[in-house]
Amino acid sequence: MSVHARAAVPAPILLIEDEPSVTAFLRAALERRGYSVEGAASGAEGLERLNNGHYTGVISDIRMPGSVNGAEVHAWIQRNKPELSARIILISGDTANSDTQALLAQSGTPCIEKPFRVQQLLTVVERTFGKP
Amino acid sequence: MSQSNMSRTTAKTSPARPRPRGVKAFPRPAGQDASELMELAVDAAQSRHLPEFLERFASRAARMLDAAWGGVAVFRGRETDLYQANRAGITLEIAHLSTLIRLARESRREIEVVPTASETALSEVPASESSSISFVPIIASDHEPLGSLCLIRNNKALNDVERRVLQALASHAALSLENFRRFSQLERSKRQWVEDIDAISDYIVVHDRTWRIVRTNRSLASHLGVPPVALVGEAMSSLRQIAEAGTELPCPFCRDTQQSREEYVVTSPERIYLVSTSRTPGLSDDDTRTIHVLKDITDRREAERRYRELFDSIQEGLFFATPDGRFLDVNDAMVRMLGYGSREELLRADVGPHLYPMPTARESFLRALAKRGVLRNYEETLRRKDGTLLHTLQNITAVRDATGKIAQIRGLMLDVTEQKMFQSQLQRERDFNQKILNTTQSMILVLDTAGLISYANRRCFESGYREDELIGHHLVDWVEPSHRESFEAALETTAQGHQVENLEPRVRRSDGSMGHFSISLSPMRDEQNVVNSVVVVMTDITDATMLQAKLAHSEKMATIGRLVSGVAHEVNNPLAAILGFTDLLLENPAIPDNAREDLQIILHETQRTKDIVQDLLSFARQRPVQRELVQVNAVLRQTIKLRSYDFASHGVEVTEDFDENLAPALGDAQQLQQVFLNILNNAYDAVQEAGQRGSITIRTQREGDQIEVAVTDNGTGVSDPERIFDPFFTTKQAAKGTGLGLSICYGIVRAHGGEIVCGNNENGPGCTFRVRIPVASETAAASIAKEAGR
Repeated sequence: MSVHARAAVPAPILLIEDEPSVTAFLRAALERRGYSVEGAASGAEGLERLNNGHYTGVISDIRMPGSVNGAEVHAWIQRNKPELSARIILISGDTANSDTQALLAQSGTPCIEKPFRVQQLLTVVERTFGKP
Repeated sequence: MSQSNMSRTTAKTSPARPRPRGVKAFPRPAGQDASELMELAVDAAQSRHLPEFLERFASRAARMLDAAWGGVAVFRGRETDLYQANRAGITLEIAHLSTLIRLARESRREIEVVPTASETALSEVPASESSSISFVPIIASDHEPLGSLCLIRNNKALNDVERRVLQALASHAALSLENFRRFSQLERSKRQWVEDIDAISDYIVVHDRTWRIVRTNRSLASHLGVPPVALVGEAMSSLRQIAEAGTELPCPFCRDTQQSREEYVVTSPERIYLVSTSRTPGLSDDDTRTIHVLKDITDRREAERRYRELFDSIQEGLFFATPDGRFLDVNDAMVRMLGYGSREELLRADVGPHLYPMPTARESFLRALAKRGVLRNYEETLRRKDGTLLHTLQNITAVRDATGKIAQIRGLMLDVTEQKMFQSQLQRERDFNQKILNTTQSMILVLDTAGLISYANRRCFESGYREDELIGHHLVDWVEPSHRESFEAALETTAQGHQVENLEPRVRRSDGSMGHFSISLSPMRDEQNVVNSVVVVMTDITDATMLQAKLAHSEKMATIGRLVSGVAHEVNNPLAAILGFTDLLLENPAIPDNAREDLQIILHETQRTKDIVQDLLSFARQRPVQRELVQVNAVLRQTIKLRSYDFASHGVEVTEDFDENLAPALGDAQQLQQVFLNILNNAYDAVQEAGQRGSITIRTQREGDQIEVAVTDNGTGVSDPERIFDPFFTTKQAAKGTGLGLSICYGIVRAHGGEIVCGNNENGPGCTFRVRIPVASETAAASIAKEAGR
């Protein structure tokens, strides 16, 4: 719940997700609640947008094809956008994965397990990014 | 000269003219004695032939003394030769002569006159009745009687003149006889000398300064095939064919003519001679005689050479040594054996300190030798020059001097180092083989050609078989009847010399149960390469067979796990979209109620799918097992408590049969609870389905270093216990489970290093699940306790 975020013109949430149907559902759910959403279809695109734009927070899938996955997006933000380091939500199809477990335990980053109910999503988003 | 003796007298007589009896012979003119004696002296000096001289002498004596008969008896040892005067007045019979000889031998040193009438034997002598016989002894200068001059005269006494004449005649006769005797002795000895020289088998040759042969002995001449005399006067060079000393001299046997004595060896292609040369002054002043004696030493040399050759070529070491530790002679083998560079080097060695690693060994050797004189097969470890040890076997003889002290040690030495090493290697190999036979986990048997067991290793007896039920029995009797035919065929194949491997018949164990065995048969051959027995190696692979099945199963489970994990991920994305959009639709107030009900069903089914995927993922996940001490009984009690309401309300009786002294296991209590809960749920479902009064017995006990939890129910049992842990293999009604519960249990138990098995009960309905997990080792327990206390 950043004062800064509320004061400024609301910046969009960057949604990094390779699966179009999931992106569509997330966009619909978040926009219906009043969040603005900007999508990136891969980790690499996500990093490019992060480098050039300004975002309220980042929601990123962990497991994505291509050269950059969710864990790397997370690490990049820690290094290059420290102001966003506490404004990341990860979504995962497999939290039992030992790498994922380690990342979550170490950073304390919130994570939502797929599949999830809309209410579960909104609770975590509001807690992390604040209300729109 | 003819021989005669007293009994059989023969007299040397010249053919005497027969004379009328009583005729007086030899009328002698007086005063002629001096000239007769003078002539006698000349005759004696000139005569070379004794008998003729003596006959003339007898004639002369008879003439000078006016005797009717004259003779000289000459003593030769016990024999007597009688020489008669050539012309006598009477002729004597043999008997008369014998008597005369006897009387002559008996006669004294003085002249004797015996009347013929006094001797019966002579009474017949045809002389005058008053005749007598005069015997004049002939005495040598050393007073030895040489003979006697006998004269038969008419009984006339001897006057002084006659006596002196007789004395003078006897002296002349003695002198002459002595001379003749010396001369003949000289002749004899000269001849004997030649014979002796000729009898010598060595070659003897004498040459003068002009290198001409003066003499050779018969051996040399016959070697050349000529009479000895033929070589006299020949040049020494003609003897070159015998052998050569190799000098430029004309004599093949001379070497240094300045030496008066020389000895050396000359050789020809065939023979070897030892030449002994002596040089002596010859008859004249300017002559030198050189005498060569050639001794043929070919055989001796050959013998020596053979001996030396044998000595050196023999593979055994030979030596002659002194008791104080010096070698007198050693052969090449000995030098080689002891690792010395040359014979000379070894001869310089001091036997005690150089050859004996321990001085005490040499001392005890000498003591034993002094005591026994001969040592047979005496084992001794010696030291080679380079310090390595040499194991020897020796045969020793002590040679003692006159006082009995050991003067020399002779010995033969064998190098048995290799045998020793071979022997110990053989022993090691035998021990090694014995160890293998006795420690191998395989049973090893030897069968004779009839298939009877002749040997069984220790493992067979450790497996419980008794010696009396194996040895002498057919191995095939232990094989399951249905496998016997093929086993016997395999034995036959082996008997024909072929190896048969990996037979897997079922064989009766010592306890009567049947086991799965891996058997290989190898032919064993005798020296003639004929198969005379079969070596059987048997291993009970019953456990291995099961292990293999388990391994295959766990492999399969792991593959399924990876597959499931991938599928679950892929399913989650669309599932997230379906669930999400359903939620969004349900939020829409414009959706009619009936559509809303349908959406609820979609929502429910999506939730169910989500559960399935969650289970799949927890089956597939490899979350590490927490390592903590787990009291299995306590975990079980908690688990039972979770379901106790259901059990009680549905009349299911749960019996706890716990080993209260159960050691803790090492593992993850939460995960184990999940396993037990799953099994209990299964049991509950099974007894419910069976429709009779349900009973579940939970038993814990320690089995070796494992804890076994057995959950037995009296439910419906399972149709395929082998497959029950496969994912999605379920006997339950649709929608009652995900089909993954037991698969997850399987994964958990395996992660604990344990195993989970299921089998239908043998004595009644239902089935039993057994979970085995390792007991926490004491060190593990201690270290965990320590960590917990920190």
